[in-house]
Amino acid sequence: MDLTDEQINRYSRQIILKEVGGIGQKKLLDSKISLVGLGALGSSTAYYLAAAGIGTLQIIDFDTVEISNLHRQILHFTKDINSKKTTSAADKLRSLNPDCTIEIVNDHITPKNSKVLLKDSNFVIEGSDNLPTKMLVNDTCINLKIPFTIAGVLRFHGQIMTVVPENMTSCYRCVFGDITEGDSSMSCSQAGVIGFVPGVLGCLEANEALKYILNIGELLTNKIMYVDLLKNRFDFIEVHRNNKCIACGDDAKDLVGEVNYGGLNSCNE
Amino acid sequence: MSSMGESNYKGSIQLDIRGKTCPLTFVYTKLALEELPKGKILEVYLDFPAALKNIPESCKTQNIAELLEIKELHSDKPEWIILLKKL
Repeated sequence: MDLTDEQINRYSRQIILKEVGGIGQKKLLDSKISLVGLGALGSSTAYYLAAAGIGTLQIIDFDTVEISNLHRQILHFTKDINSKKTTSAADKLRSLNPDCTIEIVNDHITPKNSKVLLKDSNFVIEGSDNLPTKMLVNDTCINLKIPFTIAGVLRFHGQIMTVVPENMTSCYRCVFGDITEGDSSMSCSQAGVIGFVPGVLGCLEANEALKYILNIGELLTNKIMYVDLLKNRFDFIEVHRNNKCIACGDDAKDLVGEVNYGGLNSCNE
Repeated sequence: MSSMGESNYKGSIQLDIRGKTCPLTFVYTKLALEELPKGKILEVYLDFPAALKNIPESCKTQNIAELLEIKELHSDKPEWIILLKKL
């Protein structure tokens, strides 16, 4: 597939980079990335990935837009209140870049559908606001051997890590343990968040996906990047794969369908 | 419009980017070079003066081609040919 003159123009400022070029741009156009969550993290991630010319974005969210989302969820506008987040996001993303095919999933991701939804992805972006979903995405992607990145935000803080199952890098469970029950921590609605934090973290997630697909630079594997925008601190915490991890350890088994993911197990029933 | 074709210059490939300005001049040159085997020569026809410096410099920085020669196409019209060897 040759790039059209319009595509060359559209992507010229990244094609020009040594790390991208026409070959890299074609890889991006041939790739599929799935996004779990179209809130604040997903908004910035989806925007930049669509703009970068990712060929297919699968966007997964069950929720509708509320007015209290708008200070941070930049894909959704005032006119979109009460609309499905997927529909609202798809409108903007298609308008931004017709090269990018948007696949909509208006549903919860659950142990029953997670493998089917994520199996054809080259990379998965986790951008939900709850730990059970993060664990489900972690376990599903490890089982499917799909690389993924997980970010979380609260107040002025954020954290992000990337997992490449094929390279046996540390997974989310290696770091955060065997969380099998929902409601194990505060969510944004309980603790508040400043809008720019998920903006920054969402961009970092998009950057991880792009670097993986182009096989360039360094990924945030075996480390957690911790961001404190109140104090402008960006710290890296080294983490290690746990041989006894129930998701990726030496005796790990497929956890999806086996463990309790809080309320997610009963969604869609 | 840009166009590519065979050239009479020792089996080289021709790229016509007259009408293009920087940085698109380099983008088209880079895309053309990506398609060529190592050692092949690319003749770039252009009319944007700044590209005479920018294209060879960018090719050198990214280590994708070596500048062989810059030739004037006409004595009365600002058009040139840059000869680049794919690295």
